[in-house]
Amino acid sequence: MIWIKQLLTRKSIYDDLAEEIRQHIDEKTEALIADGMSREEAERAAKREFGNVTHIEERGREAWMWPLVENLCADTKFAFRQILKNFGFASTVILILALGIGATAAIFSLVNAVLLRPLPFPEPDRLVWLSQQDHSAPGVVPESLSYPDYFDWRVQNHTLSGMASYLGGGVTFQHDGTSQHLDAQSVSANFFDVLGVAPMLGRDFNWEDEKPGHHVVMLSYSFWQSEFGSARDIVGRTIQIDDRSYTVVGVMPKGFQFPFEHPTPAFWRSLSGDAEGKNPKTEQRGFDVLDVIGRVKPGVTIDQVKADLSLIADNLARQYPDNNKQYSSALVEPELEHMTGDTRPALRMLFGAVVLVLLLVCANVAGLLLARGSRRSAEFALRAAIGASRAAILRQLLMEAIVLALCGGAAGVALAVGLVRVFLQLMPVEIPRMQGATVDAGVLGFVLILSLVTGLLFGVFPAWRILRWAPANALREGARSVAGGRGQHRLHNGLVISQTAIGMVLLIASGLMMRSFLRILNVDPGFNSRHVLTGRVGISFDKLNRDQHVLFYQQLLTRLSAVPGVQSVSAGWPLPMSHNSASISFNIQGHPVAKGDEPSGALSVIMPGYLETMQIPLIAGRSFGTQDGLTGPPTILINQAFARKYFPQENPIRQHIQVRIGDGFFEQPIREVVGIVGDIRTKALSADAEPQFYLSYAQAVVTNPYLVVRTSTDPAAMERTIYAVIHDLDKNVPVYQVSTMEDYLSKSAAQPRFQAFLLTGFAGVALVLAAIGLYGLLSYMVTLRTLEIGLRMALGARRADVLRMIVRRGLLLSLAGVGIGLAVSALLTRLMEGMLFHIRPIDPITFALTAALFLMVSIAASSMPAYRAARLDPMKTLRDQ
Amino acid sequence: MANLKKTEQRDLFRGALEMMILRSLMDEPMHGYALVQHIKQRSNELLQVEEGSLYPALQRLLKAGLVKAEWEISASKRKVRTYRITQAGKRHLEQEVSSFEQMLEGITRVLSPLES
Repeated sequence: MIWIKQLLTRKSIYDDLAEEIRQHIDEKTEALIADGMSREEAERAAKREFGNVTHIEERGREAWMWPLVENLCADTKFAFRQILKNFGFASTVILILALGIGATAAIFSLVNAVLLRPLPFPEPDRLVWLSQQDHSAPGVVPESLSYPDYFDWRVQNHTLSGMASYLGGGVTFQHDGTSQHLDAQSVSANFFDVLGVAPMLGRDFNWEDEKPGHHVVMLSYSFWQSEFGSARDIVGRTIQIDDRSYTVVGVMPKGFQFPFEHPTPAFWRSLSGDAEGKNPKTEQRGFDVLDVIGRVKPGVTIDQVKADLSLIADNLARQYPDNNKQYSSALVEPELEHMTGDTRPALRMLFGAVVLVLLLVCANVAGLLLARGSRRSAEFALRAAIGASRAAILRQLLMEAIVLALCGGAAGVALAVGLVRVFLQLMPVEIPRMQGATVDAGVLGFVLILSLVTGLLFGVFPAWRILRWAPANALREGARSVAGGRGQHRLHNGLVISQTAIGMVLLIASGLMMRSFLRILNVDPGFNSRHVLTGRVGISFDKLNRDQHVLFYQQLLTRLSAVPGVQSVSAGWPLPMSHNSASISFNIQGHPVAKGDEPSGALSVIMPGYLETMQIPLIAGRSFGTQDGLTGPPTILINQAFARKYFPQENPIRQHIQVRIGDGFFEQPIREVVGIVGDIRTKALSADAEPQFYLSYAQAVVTNPYLVVRTSTDPAAMERTIYAVIHDLDKNVPVYQVSTMEDYLSKSAAQPRFQAFLLTGFAGVALVLAAIGLYGLLSYMVTLRTLEIGLRMALGARRADVLRMIVRRGLLLSLAGVGIGLAVSALLTRLMEGMLFHIRPIDPITFALTAALFLMVSIAASSMPAYRAARLDPMKTLRDQ
Repeated sequence: MANLKKTEQRDLFRGALEMMILRSLMDEPMHGYALVQHIKQRSNELLQVEEGSLYPALQRLLKAGLVKAEWEISASKRKVRTYRITQAGKRHLEQEVSSFEQMLEGITRVLSPLES
């Protein structure tokens, strides 16, 4: 415990040292006097020869200290004292920093939650998403597998330790006399095993469960909790799904979720249901709908898996050319990459933008500290003169910066917590894992590092100044309050220019996104979304046969059309913007191709009145009517894109098309084209219309269609009436996905909207900060040059000259910044190309408007200090100096 | 010696001042002022050390236990702090001197003209 003793006796050690030094100088003085010097001379000579007493004492004391730790403590204490002493200044800096750090931390929380956090499964890096490559289309086009293909891959591969399939869909769950629509998955027996998660209750699926007749279900934790009150005896009970009994075999642990979709699956069924019926899905090689996930064997690379599976795919393509001809190779992607692929560029851009904001904040704060640093140069000079080493002053300055940054970081965390909440409200829910974004330990660590880096970054400029300055000059300058030389001005100018440049880049990027977003909003979707209410009813295909099914909808439509306020009503599937679609292959009579080379188009099934209700224009021929029912001849409508692509030279009307779809009654009949309808946007407003064909619902009963109700008033207000009418017809049928068409449109533009608004927010902050930076520099310059300005005015300069001089300075700086900003933007906006809709990355209008805006703001920011300078009273100024 | 922090003596190599102090204290116990005079004289004023720089070095030696110090009244009736070398100090000096001599020999060999 020697160090404790040392700590306690240190005071006396230091006292001894000081006393010893005093004695030394005394003795020396006396010796010099004895040599014949005067006392005064001798005292001075003794001190000179001894050296800097404070400094030497300090170095002597260092022998007894842990200099690093103790200096750090002292510097920190001092930094806090400085902050309290200049509370106004410090709180401004902390506020600006909090803005930068907070925004960065919030975006990082999103990036972390969506892109960086590993999947919540053991050895997540070994999970891969598998699909087959569609070689009939240009580029990399992944296509889902069919059950027979999946089974072949599963059995024949050598590189995967497991390969599981899953297929999502809506089901009707009946419980306690009520029924509700839920999202569920049909999965292969090894699904949970491949993911590496065992049920917390009951047993896992086994291979037997894939066979027809084995109706088993695994519940999610939250579903088990909400529907069955966490009953421990749930295993073995039967529940009713789609009018069938399923045995509960287990419950998955809390938090388990896969796939990461919204809404989350309530339970997982084994795929046995798909293996039943007259024509089971498990035997249709053209039924390409499965999502497949695999677990790579240890030590095997992705490329090896790809080669292995491609060999199998190639064999299948040769063996089954009708269905597999174009799928001769496999696509293998790490699951995490596959899941986050779509959002990656957007999040990357936002993160880039927020880093720019942070840099701008650094430059801004550095400017503030620099101006203050030169106001403090007299203080530093004094300290240096009484023995503080340059390193000590430097250390202390950096420490002040870091303490400020850490305070800013702490305030930033508070801001980030709020911002993340706001982002999650604004952000489209479809982004997987986004809703899990929180300010967690990882984010806190990020903020800590960020604050330290930021502190060093903006602290280094003023500190760098100290390194290159001579105390004697500073003292002299300080006395005359004309601190800061040429170098300082250059540095300060550089900071202002870089702020303008960064602000320009952000403003241009946000301008592009905003214009692109407005273009998207101005797209005509091809239908009229106003005053349309939509929803689905979950009619079980087991309870009603296909004819009863059609009858039910016909009755329902008749009843709905009688409701006051309803203008027209119909039904169809898929609804545009609802993320449903089916691509079905077809052949045109008279355009012979081999079955494996048949083209495919987007399928729609509609009831009479659908086109009229959605206000999709009829271009030629007729739309569907009662004659296109069960007994009528099979008919088909095509859209303009279809007509352009497949009938470039001929009149499509009365041509015949065979669509490869059957419903048990109409089995792939040859259908006559009776009309051409207008193109509509189905996937997104920004996605071009694709070749599409419409079948009459009565001639293709493939799923429950969406009801579409055009109302004369606010459609949302009609919701309860619609419910009442449906339940009047069948009180047990679940109604789901009730929403207005406007909502679908709005959701489809949610991501561009979020990006555009967020970027604009950042750009706004950037603009304000850049203006503050310029204003601060010019005000500071005016203060420094008060004497000069006074002199000029005394020598005959007019107020207008002074005004012009300052504004010109401001304008020159911002011109430089704007120029650099334009050049950098021209380089950077190219990275955004994929995110822009009908607007070029180098859009002259955006660039020009942004530059003009920036220059105007700069003039405004310069005019205030300029005005102040022009109002100086020359006589008073000169007297004061 | 772990406790010896790097000296800031630019004119001398690391540890040189400490070595000279220890060597001087081998002759007789001395206080700071006397030590400075002693080193100056012995080096025929060739080594111009800043007088103050002695004290940080002395503190480091004290900390490392190579010297000990006591307040005394000198012959000239002055209150002085006299330093004495310890056993550990003597051993350390021996080591330092021998390694210094080795180094010096090496340098001398390099600097002397080649024998042909």
